[in-house]
Amino acid sequence: MRSRKSEVGSRKSEVGSLKSEVRGRKSEVQSWLLLLILPLLLLMACGSGDTSNNEDVQERLDMRGLQEFSSGKQLYIKYCQNCHMEDGKGLGKLIPPLQNSDYLLNNVAAAGRTIKYGLTGPIIVNAIDYNQPMPANPDLTSLEIKELLVYISNAWGNKSKIVTLEEVERALKPNTSD
Amino acid sequence: MRALKLLVVLIVLVGTSSCGGNKEVKKLPIYGRQEFKEVDGKVDTIYHTIPDFTFYDQDSLAVTLASFDGKVYVADFFFGTCPTICPIMKQQMLRVYERFNDNPEFGILSHTIDPAHDTVAYLKDFSMRLGVPNSKVWKFVTGDQDEIYRIGSAEGYLVPVGADSDAPGGFIHSGAFILIDKEKRIRGLYDGTKPIEVDALMNDIPKLLAEYEK
Repeated sequence: MRSRKSEVGSRKSEVGSLKSEVRGRKSEVQSWLLLLILPLLLLMACGSGDTSNNEDVQERLDMRGLQEFSSGKQLYIKYCQNCHMEDGKGLGKLIPPLQNSDYLLNNVAAAGRTIKYGLTGPIIVNAIDYNQPMPANPDLTSLEIKELLVYISNAWGNKSKIVTLEEVERALKPNTSD
Repeated sequence: MRALKLLVVLIVLVGTSSCGGNKEVKKLPIYGRQEFKEVDGKVDTIYHTIPDFTFYDQDSLAVTLASFDGKVYVADFFFGTCPTICPIMKQQMLRVYERFNDNPEFGILSHTIDPAHDTVAYLKDFSMRLGVPNSKVWKFVTGDQDEIYRIGSAEGYLVPVGADSDAPGGFIHSGAFILIDKEKRIRGLYDGTKPIEVDALMNDIPKLLAEYEK
C-alpha cells in the first residue's frame, strides 16, 4: 500500500527528485521483504514447534566435544533411539531412561560396556527395577562408543564431563568389573 | 507488478491453509480384495474381512473376533524381546491408548509373533510395565504360532509376519498399525514407528466412529 502511494507521488512530480524515487524503491523493497517474511513466519507457526533441550551444550562443550556430541547423536538415532526414545526417557518400566538416569550418570564409561556387550538380567535405575535384555553392539568401535557416551551423558539436560577414550577402552576390556 | 504481488499473496494463503488440515469429513477407504456378487438382480460388494481367531490375552482370557463386536480396533504385531522397532511402536500405541481408552467402542489388539517366549505371564508383566493395568481395552495376545502368522497374512491383516533367522531378533514383522471397523474390515494402515502417521490414525479413529453415529 505504502509503496503504491509513493510511486504515485514520484510520478506526480515530473521533475522527480531523486530522493523520492529512492524512497519509492525503498518501500517497494520493504513490502516485498514483508511478503517474503510473512509466509516464513506462518510456516514456522504451523511447524511442530519442537525445541530441543540441548541448547546449553553449545556453551558447556568445546568444539571437539560438540563434534563428538553431534556424531554421537547420529549413532544414537541409528542404534539406540528405537528403544530409549528420542527424548531419552525410555518406555514405561520396560526400557530404562537415559535422561537423568543415575545408573548411567554414576558411571558413564561403564555404560560403554553395556553398549558393546549388551546386558541381561535385572537392573535398578532411579529406584525402579527393569528386566529387559539389551542387545549387544559388537561392531561399534571404541571411538563410536565414546561419541555415543558423550551424547547420552550430555543430552536432554544430562550434564557430564567428557568421557575420555582411555576410560572407555578400560571399561570395554574383558574382566573389568564395572 | 501488482498482479504478481497478488499471486504471491494467493500462493501464501493457499500454502498456509493446507497446514490446517482438511476439515471436510471423508469416509475412510476400505482395504483388501473385493468380490462382487449378484443378489436379486443387484450387485453386492463383498469386502475383505478379518477371519475368526482364538488367542489368549495377558489376563488369560480367550480373545476372539467377537471380543471386538461393537468396537473399532487397532491391531499390530510385535514381540517382547524385539530389539528394533517394537519399543517405538509400543510408545506410539501408548499414545493411542491414552487418547481413546475411555471409549467403550474402542480396542487395541497386539499380537506377539514369538508365542514360545511371550507367554501369558510374560505379556502380563510386559503390559503392566508399559502402563496398561488390564486387558479391558488393550489386549496383548499369544496363541498358536501358525494361527498368528495366518491372521497377519493375506488372509487377515495383510501385513508380513513370520520367523526369519536373518532378521534382528529372529522375526520379521511389519510396523503397521491396522485400523479395523465394526464390520471387521480394514479401514487404515499406518506406520506405527512414525509419530506423524500415528497422528493420522488418531485423526481417523473418531472419523470411523462417526460413521456409526445416527
